[in-house]
Amino acid sequence: MTDKREVPRSKAGAGRRDDPLGPNSEIGRKLKQYYSALVTDDVPERFEQLLSKLESVESGQEES
Amino acid sequence: MAAAEFKTGLLGAIPSLRAFAVSLSQNADKADDLVQETLMKAWDKQSSFEPGTNLKAWLFTILRNEFYSQMRKRGREVQDSDGIMTARLAIHPAQEGMLDLDDFRTALDQLPADQREAIILIGASGFSYEEAAEICECAVGTIKSRVSRARTRLHEILQIDGEAEFGPDPVATQVLGSNIP
Repeated sequence: MTDKREVPRSKAGAGRRDDPLGPNSEIGRKLKQYYSALVTDDVPERFEQLLSKLESVESGQEES
Repeated sequence: MAAAEFKTGLLGAIPSLRAFAVSLSQNADKADDLVQETLMKAWDKQSSFEPGTNLKAWLFTILRNEFYSQMRKRGREVQDSDGIMTARLAIHPAQEGMLDLDDFRTALDQLPADQREAIILIGASGFSYEEAAEICECAVGTIKSRVSRARTRLHEILQIDGEAEFGPDPVATQVLGSNIP
């Protein structure tokens, strides 16, 4: 599953310098720094366990 | 979409969902509960997901709805009252390119929820304005104006000068830029 979204025009080429949250913006850089620290945080195992459980319940229903 | 494929998609989205949940709820424990609720809802609604569309955006929509519905249940006021917290904040003026991440986080927490989610979706989660508008169930123009107000507010709180917000000076940027192979 990939994010197949179109690159917004403002980010492609000419408009780049005008991107108010782009790499030239202190706010933009901090936002990305803040967010990437959250995204790279270790994921607790409970989520994978939850999905496996949901999956096994579902496949059990299909078999019966 | 096969259940296994869907599951893989959900697993892959968990780090982003957690980051968005923390941004919304400003609390790590609540955030993980939100993510768990989102995953269960998503699993139940699996048949309503259209394969080929953006799974991450679909999941963010579910998470956001869950967040606001929990807030309503708790009877809490979602919106921070504009300005009150800002006045109490005493953050030193940012030196160029030296803005502290903790200061930034504190400032971000002071934004009204609608502005915070908009600037996170656009500036950090990598969504387009159109996708953010769908996630927040509002007009594209509304997202644009929220992002703009959020930027202005962050500039005020962090006392970043509009013109001085560009990190290293222009010459250094040129030199750095020219060194990229």
